[in-house]
Amino acid sequence: MSQPDLTRSLRAARPVAPDELRERVRLVAAQAAPPPRRLVTWRRALVVAVPVAAAAIAAGVLLTRPTRQAEQPLPNVPAVSHGSVAASGGVLANPALAPTIPQPSATRAQRYTASLDLRVPTVGAVSADSKRAVAIAASLGGYEQSVNVSTGKASGYADIRLRIPKTRVQEAVRRLAALGRIVSENVNVQDLQAGLNATARTIQALQRNLAALRAQTQTALVQRRILQLTARIQKLQRSEASTVREARYATVALTLATPPAQPAKQHRPGPLHGLGTAFRWIGIGLVYALAIGAPLAALAVLVWLAVCALRRRREDRLLSRP
Amino acid sequence: MTTFAQAAERHLDDVYGYLVWFTGDRFVAEDLAGETFERALRLWHRFDEQRGSPRTWLCQVARTVALDHFRSERRRLRREELAAVPERYEQPLAEGLSPEIESALRVLTAGEREVIALRVVLELDAATAARVLGISPTNCTTRLNRALKKLEEAIDVAA
Repeated sequence: MSQPDLTRSLRAARPVAPDELRERVRLVAAQAAPPPRRLVTWRRALVVAVPVAAAAIAAGVLLTRPTRQAEQPLPNVPAVSHGSVAASGGVLANPALAPTIPQPSATRAQRYTASLDLRVPTVGAVSADSKRAVAIAASLGGYEQSVNVSTGKASGYADIRLRIPKTRVQEAVRRLAALGRIVSENVNVQDLQAGLNATARTIQALQRNLAALRAQTQTALVQRRILQLTARIQKLQRSEASTVREARYATVALTLATPPAQPAKQHRPGPLHGLGTAFRWIGIGLVYALAIGAPLAALAVLVWLAVCALRRRREDRLLSRP
Repeated sequence: MTTFAQAAERHLDDVYGYLVWFTGDRFVAEDLAGETFERALRLWHRFDEQRGSPRTWLCQVARTVALDHFRSERRRLRREELAAVPERYEQPLAEGLSPEIESALRVLTAGEREVIALRVVLELDAATAARVLGISPTNCTTRLNRALKKLEEAIDVAA
């Protein structure tokens, strides 16, 4: 029998469903279709939720590891004023506010020391203000004891020590303070009058002794004593004169410096900042999910392929019987 | 859009014929056809007409039902073979077949009968039949050629 004949014979003998079956199927079809099973069941939700929760926990554990702390700019610590008498401390934002320093005594000898730390805006201002400071000192009858100016491209620094007549130190400090923004100020007043008085008394006593010795018979011993007393009196007088000279002038230590380098300007969060942050975290989550999920997915695919192959083999075996 | 009742009425003979050839037993095929339509009614909401015709989909459901039947039947036979060799009652596969073809069809395996049923009796194209079988169209054609060749040889032997 040829294949077309065989095909024709097979098609001609096509089975027809018996009436009982037809009736049964009609009854089945007449039934109301049952409601479809819910797509989201507890089992399916768990199948999705458990791996997602595991991935989220893993990501959380990995992401909450201690990280290197971001470098924070150090706060701008104001210079601390040192000294026995601090007129004021901290930054005086308004340069128009002249510092108030104690008035030097007109009757007593004092070692008067004032220091001013000023902030100037530019490097050029450092050298210009240094010259002005020296000029101010000269105009008030003072002089510069030491001047040290150092300037670079981005920053500048000047350390100037001025000697100002004590009676005009307040004016000097007021005018010097106007050169920049006051960062710190320090005034140290030390009384020297008591020491001068004591020295004067000692000198007077020694001079009395000296006069007494001169009135005595001038033996070699007496003459040696006279020489010693004279030398001591001269030394004390020099010291007294030095102290008086020192007390006549006040020392003003002036520091001029440019502002410290500004830390990197922090961007203020814009309106889309939250969205960007959310996308960043979503991206991080996706990377972790991919890192964790990709091997699991590959394993699942392999398992699925193996199951399919096994099922196919079983099916073939099942259908290989007559 | 096709309703379930329309699809059932239109394709009942196709499903029944496929199952007769597949199982080789008209009574079993009758039971399985009824079961197929009951299951198909439950799953009708999943049917998508754009992905395939109702006939293809019903044949896929019928195949699943038949495979379940084969599995349970195999387990039953194993249990019974422990006690005694079960008797086999063979009815004619279809009306109008010559005895040679009938006996030759008994030589074929269920898988071979299945592919003949789909491609020859139901006249499905290779792609549709392959979809029902869950294999590639090429594989389906190969299976069909082998099955027909085996059937011809069996007919020659029977003749």
